[in-house]
Amino acid sequence: MGEAKWIEVAGVKASDEKYSALLATEAGQPVVRFKGTVSTPNPALVLNPFVDAVHQAVIACGVPLVTVDFNGFDFCNSSGFKSFIYWVDQIRRLPKEQQYRLRFTLAPTKRWQRTSLLALTCFAVDIIEIAGG
Amino acid sequence: MSTRNGPARAPLPGQPVLLYLRMVPVWVFVDEVRQFVESFCACAGIGAEREGQLALATHELMQNAITYGTAEDIELRLSIDAAADRVEVSLTNTCAPGQPAQLRARLAKLREQAPLESYVRAMGADPKAPGGLGLPRIRYEAQLELEAVEEGDRLTVSARGKLMPAQLSAAMGVGHG
Repeated sequence: MGEAKWIEVAGVKASDEKYSALLATEAGQPVVRFKGTVSTPNPALVLNPFVDAVHQAVIACGVPLVTVDFNGFDFCNSSGFKSFIYWVDQIRRLPKEQQYRLRFTLAPTKRWQRTSLLALTCFAVDIIEIAGG
Repeated sequence: MSTRNGPARAPLPGQPVLLYLRMVPVWVFVDEVRQFVESFCACAGIGAEREGQLALATHELMQNAITYGTAEDIELRLSIDAAADRVEVSLTNTCAPGQPAQLRARLAKLREQAPLESYVRAMGADPKAPGGLGLPRIRYEAQLELEAVEEGDRLTVSARGKLMPAQLSAAMGVGHG
């Protein structure tokens, strides 16, 4: 339903056989949407450069919050999950005034998302938040 | 419907449910096996939360077995014992000498800390370095304890725990959204 409001940010996307990720804006705010299943042996080869591109775009905008939409994200292996830790690490390397938060919106039926994000919140409570959590 | 061994039937109450798969260690199967395990657990009626946790553990253990295995096959064994309130998923692969000892040392190190604590500590490692997150993830997210057993040149990594553990989010005081 909200699809029409999405404006894809040109060039900031990634995909592999079973998953895709892109940066878009919704009402002027950055939203990163993940879809599919990350289960390749070394997803960082695709995901880390995508995180870098998103990170640079967000810094350029100077926004304090990025929404990360997991509604279409079926599964992510631990190797793929490390890219979110990498993202946190990139944010932490910024000067305090440039740091931004990541707000994850989850699919209630995909239970791994909540447990993975609960743990990630414990790792980076200053950066990670779960929408409605 | 009947099988070679007689009429098909649901497991008897109190009887453990077992799944055994022997397969060629091909990466593209991992996803399919995870989904199959989730469906299998759904048929066993263990509840959606536990189904997902066992599927996740299967996925991570199978990836490790493929990555570190040295032969043409790997074996998956899943056991659901409602009467004993136990579940276990294990992966067996042929391994290189020294690998089991390394793994056992790693598991011992993980067990020094509570599951969430060791998981968060693993997150603090270099995020660009490959691996290192799967086993602590199983301990915390799947609520299963890990053990490695060596038999000749075969290594079995087992993840076992309660069939009905406390819900993680409830245990952390976080409501479901």
